[in-house]
Amino acid sequence: MLEARDVRKSYGGVKAVDGLSFVAKPGEIFGLIGPNGAGKSTTIRMAMNIIAPDSGAMTIGGKPFNEDDKARIGYLPEERGLYRKARVEEILLYLAALKGMKEAEARRRIQAWLNRFDLQDWRGRKIEELSKGMAQKVQFIGTVLHEPELYLFDEPFAGLDPISQDLLLSAMVELKEGGATVLFSTHVMEHAERICDRILLVNRGRAVVQGGLAEVKASHGRNAVQVEFDGDASFIEGLPFVTSLTSYPRWFEVELRDGADPDELFRALAGRLKVRRFETVAPSLHKIFIHLVGEDNEGRAE
Amino acid sequence: MNKTLRVARHEFRTTAANKAFVIITILGPFLIFGVAVLPTILARSNATLPSVTLALSGGADVRPALEAVLSARGSRVAILPAEPEAAEAAARAGLLSGEYDGALILAPDWASRKSVRLLTKTGTDVALNGAIEAVLGDAARRSHALASGIDPAVVQRMLEAPAMTVMKLGKEANEKGAVEEYIGVLMTVMAFVMLLYMTVLLYGQLIGRSVLQEKTAKTVEIMLSSVSSRQLMVGKILGPGLAGLIQYGVWLGLALVGVKALGPALHLSLPSVLNSANLIWLVVFFLPAYSLYASIYAALGAGAEDEQHLAQLAWPLLLFLILPMVLVSFLVTNPNATVSVFLSFFPLTSPIVMLIRVLVSPPPAWQLALSLGLMALTVWGAAVLAGKVFRVGILMTGKRRKLGEILRWARQP
Repeated sequence: MLEARDVRKSYGGVKAVDGLSFVAKPGEIFGLIGPNGAGKSTTIRMAMNIIAPDSGAMTIGGKPFNEDDKARIGYLPEERGLYRKARVEEILLYLAALKGMKEAEARRRIQAWLNRFDLQDWRGRKIEELSKGMAQKVQFIGTVLHEPELYLFDEPFAGLDPISQDLLLSAMVELKEGGATVLFSTHVMEHAERICDRILLVNRGRAVVQGGLAEVKASHGRNAVQVEFDGDASFIEGLPFVTSLTSYPRWFEVELRDGADPDELFRALAGRLKVRRFETVAPSLHKIFIHLVGEDNEGRAE
Repeated sequence: MNKTLRVARHEFRTTAANKAFVIITILGPFLIFGVAVLPTILARSNATLPSVTLALSGGADVRPALEAVLSARGSRVAILPAEPEAAEAAARAGLLSGEYDGALILAPDWASRKSVRLLTKTGTDVALNGAIEAVLGDAARRSHALASGIDPAVVQRMLEAPAMTVMKLGKEANEKGAVEEYIGVLMTVMAFVMLLYMTVLLYGQLIGRSVLQEKTAKTVEIMLSSVSSRQLMVGKILGPGLAGLIQYGVWLGLALVGVKALGPALHLSLPSVLNSANLIWLVVFFLPAYSLYASIYAALGAGAEDEQHLAQLAWPLLLFLILPMVLVSFLVTNPNATVSVFLSFFPLTSPIVMLIRVLVSPPPAWQLALSLGLMALTVWGAAVLAGKVFRVGILMTGKRRKLGEILRWARQP
């Protein structure tokens, strides 16, 4: 378990992290999401004790960071940088040894992970011969080899092709199902949307919204419905609970007044239109992000 | 195994796989021997020449004299047929087969001819050629004297003149052969100092660059997620240090073999200063010199932004390494001058300067102890301060900082 209590960090007067509090629990994936420069990496680096917060506290398993905790954490920094001259298997063995792993066990796991990421033919190659994506997968393997309790992935998907992204996503879900605490940062909402249990949306070092993914969606969703139909839908605009309408001959999307139940609309349609599809529109995290962060930044600019 | 040692093991492997390391390990002994032994080889006497076989045809009058000269250097004379054509053929065959090293074919009237011919395979054994020429010259002069009715003893006396030997005042109580002694000491000191200077500089820069690369390539964050900055720094210093020690071990072994076995076997008169005790002193002074410069280079590497910046930060350090090199001739001739004594206490120059003093004329024990004690203290202090600078610097990027600013990081708690 990783907990942050009102942590703050400034760089030369700029507040990189301005009072963040959150808890990442075992068995869940916690997404630290926000635009570039929001303070995500600074937060993760404070969790890793690479930089110290100006105030507030980061605790791991309820206790302040301890040098011995390093063996129980897997950290993937934002900027990749394995020794360029080192060979794939050799560097992975070195990283595993630094985490205190036995060599035989490390070899076995390296083999399994290389196979899983389709890198088995590259084990004897130097890091500098690898493509950026491959090097990143190797570094991901280096982060998870020792099967720690807490994973901190800083922008793990940056620069990966969609297939590799999927490999990483499913690997991360597996780590969580194994009972580990997984925290990762991203500015790509689709990734957060696909695997996060809970999220913290950060902007300019401050929390914008925090909570379970479903709750966040529910509380920040637009109340909208899409309908595919046959018939004359001109009466829709006149319904009292409809605030806006986007209409096409066989398809329309309406936004309902706050508090209005989509069921009311369904009852109003019944018998007057032939409904082919009726779908409440769950807002994407992306839209929530744009909405909240955009509003936030505009507010500050004034 | 603890983490520091794991880092050290990795860094050791990286260093040992480095081309420069392999080349210097191999070339080191050649440097010692080349520089220390070359002058003595050039100045070697007949007694130390390899044995040869000279084939002789005719010249019965000079045979005893030639045999005497050659047997003095463990060589012998082989007799060829007197008939010129048969002698020539036998000589060529013998030279080609390696049976003879030289062949001298003398006609009965050789002494009155303008020239005689010495056949050799290489023609480069200048000492042998000179010795043969001297014997023939003596014999010819003798025969000319007799033919002119002059007593050969008179001729001999007329040609005699004292030889001049150039002596230079060297160490007290050892003025005999002062030139050879001085050159021997100077050359050995040069070789030792070169090795010490080269290794300390090479490893220092290696560590500085390695730390810098680790920082700029962002590998350091991965490393710091497993080890502390102290473990990382100490490991990065210990690894190449171990490689250096192994290198010195190799040199020491080879040098001892050279001094104990190879030298005598080849009849090389090695400088007396090239002995096992002095070779061990070389290693003793390598340790503090390496530790000191490696710590400082690690700190500078952590503070630097790129290679040029590192070179810029390190040049004051280089001055202290170069200073003893520049002064080596002065230090050898004046090992007990005030400047020499001061430099042998000042920690940045003391390893090299104290080594020179030990080689040239052993300093008082208290001076040696004080010098080593000061070195040990400085190494400890430098390692602690370097650790602080390293911890701050390794995560600082984006700005070229001045040396003063970097050194101020050491003041952080």
